[in-house]
Amino acid sequence: MKHASFIFGSWGLTAVSVAVYAVWVIRRGRELAKHATREEMPWT
Amino acid sequence: MDLTPRTVTEPGAQPPARKRRWLPMLVVVGALLGGGVVVTKFLTSAIDYYCNVDEVGVRSGCSGERRMRVQGVVEQNSVKHADGGTTFTLDFNKKTLKVAYSGDPGGVFQECIPIIAHGRVVNGVFESDRIEVKHSNQYVQKNAKRIDQANKEAAACSVLKG
Amino acid sequence: MAGQSGTGTSATRRLGVLVILMLATLALCGLWFSAEDVVQGSTVRIMYVHVPSIWTAYIAFGLTALCSAVYLSGKNRSLAWDRVAGASGEIGVLFVAVSLVTGSMWGRLTWGTYWVWDARLTSTAFLFITYVGYLAVRQLGGTHRQRARRSSVLALLAILEIPLVHFSVTLWRSLHQEASVANPNAKVALDGLMLFSLFLGLIAFTMLFVWLVLHRQRAMMLEDAFSDRGLDVAIAARRNEAGA
Repeated sequence: MKHASFIFGSWGLTAVSVAVYAVWVIRRGRELAKHATREEMPWT
Repeated sequence: MDLTPRTVTEPGAQPPARKRRWLPMLVVVGALLGGGVVVTKFLTSAIDYYCNVDEVGVRSGCSGERRMRVQGVVEQNSVKHADGGTTFTLDFNKKTLKVAYSGDPGGVFQECIPIIAHGRVVNGVFESDRIEVKHSNQYVQKNAKRIDQANKEAAACSVLKG
Repeated sequence: MAGQSGTGTSATRRLGVLVILMLATLALCGLWFSAEDVVQGSTVRIMYVHVPSIWTAYIAFGLTALCSAVYLSGKNRSLAWDRVAGASGEIGVLFVAVSLVTGSMWGRLTWGTYWVWDARLTSTAFLFITYVGYLAVRQLGGTHRQRARRSSVLALLAILEIPLVHFSVTLWRSLHQEASVANPNAKVALDGLMLFSLFLGLIAFTMLFVWLVLHRQRAMMLEDAFSDRGLDVAIAARRNEAGA
């Protein structure tokens, strides 16, 4: 594939950016949930 | 209950952090400055007139030897590479303009593709030092079974010329 | 305490699995099955992440504005609207950044330059900076309601940039191509599997956005609750002090 570094680079950058953010959001939620009461988590 | 303002500060008795936050303030200031820079760059880059080939020498700002940006379609069979430079003819609205570019244009530069050339007209030739290739918003898949090479090139040309 | 279930539910877990499957299918279609473009060749494959990224950013900023308007309208002054607005704005900033970088890489291959101060690129950069400012304004301190009020006003002003960005290619002479699908002529200018891959990308990224917003706004709800709890502890301490 011509220009493979740019093409895979752009896909990789997108995937890594979104994955890093998603992992941060999940970990932050889990960390906060450890100290939360049921009333503070109406979705549970 | 006594709700008069407290005078004695005890550890742990203060409300939680509602203090001024300097980092967000710096980011707000940075965003304001950044926004100003972006707008300024846009306005200063617009100083070079943006002319279509048929407007060169006709429209105000597109005449003389002033620096401008010229938009047109690279004419078929006009591209020649020599002495490290590239010459070709730009078409637009049945008008043509000879272009001499000091280098090998990048991107998907090819015949029949719309481009924007930066430079100035000298002795009837547009001497360009920067070329940006303006690809179409139409995407046509390569398909060897459907069209042969010659038809493919013709199709690409017609697509690009709209 | 509620334990370690975090911000997930069975519904978000199912949605998450679906999003992963759709993104995997998108990767296969975009990088493998879809054809090369007759002019751009394989470079066109960057479009399948670039366009869905800016699309998601538009949706995100739209949702931010909508929730801000609901909050300010006074009919329902629940801070939940503000939290969804904030979560959505944060995700929008992520996607507009991705769109700027992938667009720059695509531009290097097609236009021959990473960046040009063209109307579309400049207005998108301005949009990014505006929403970084929006996120910073949310963090300036004060009560939750003060945060909600000032950020809602800003969100309603910032959303006005979206039409400017989208129509910049028709309002100004631009290096950037016009929209291939959402154009004023309503003419779809993509062949077969290229069009399918692009639509799959739009749907997959939209669902990813929904998943991210659900989790982020729940985390924000906990952040607010902890902040309030700290305040409650202080008030209770003050009451005890006064009672004693």
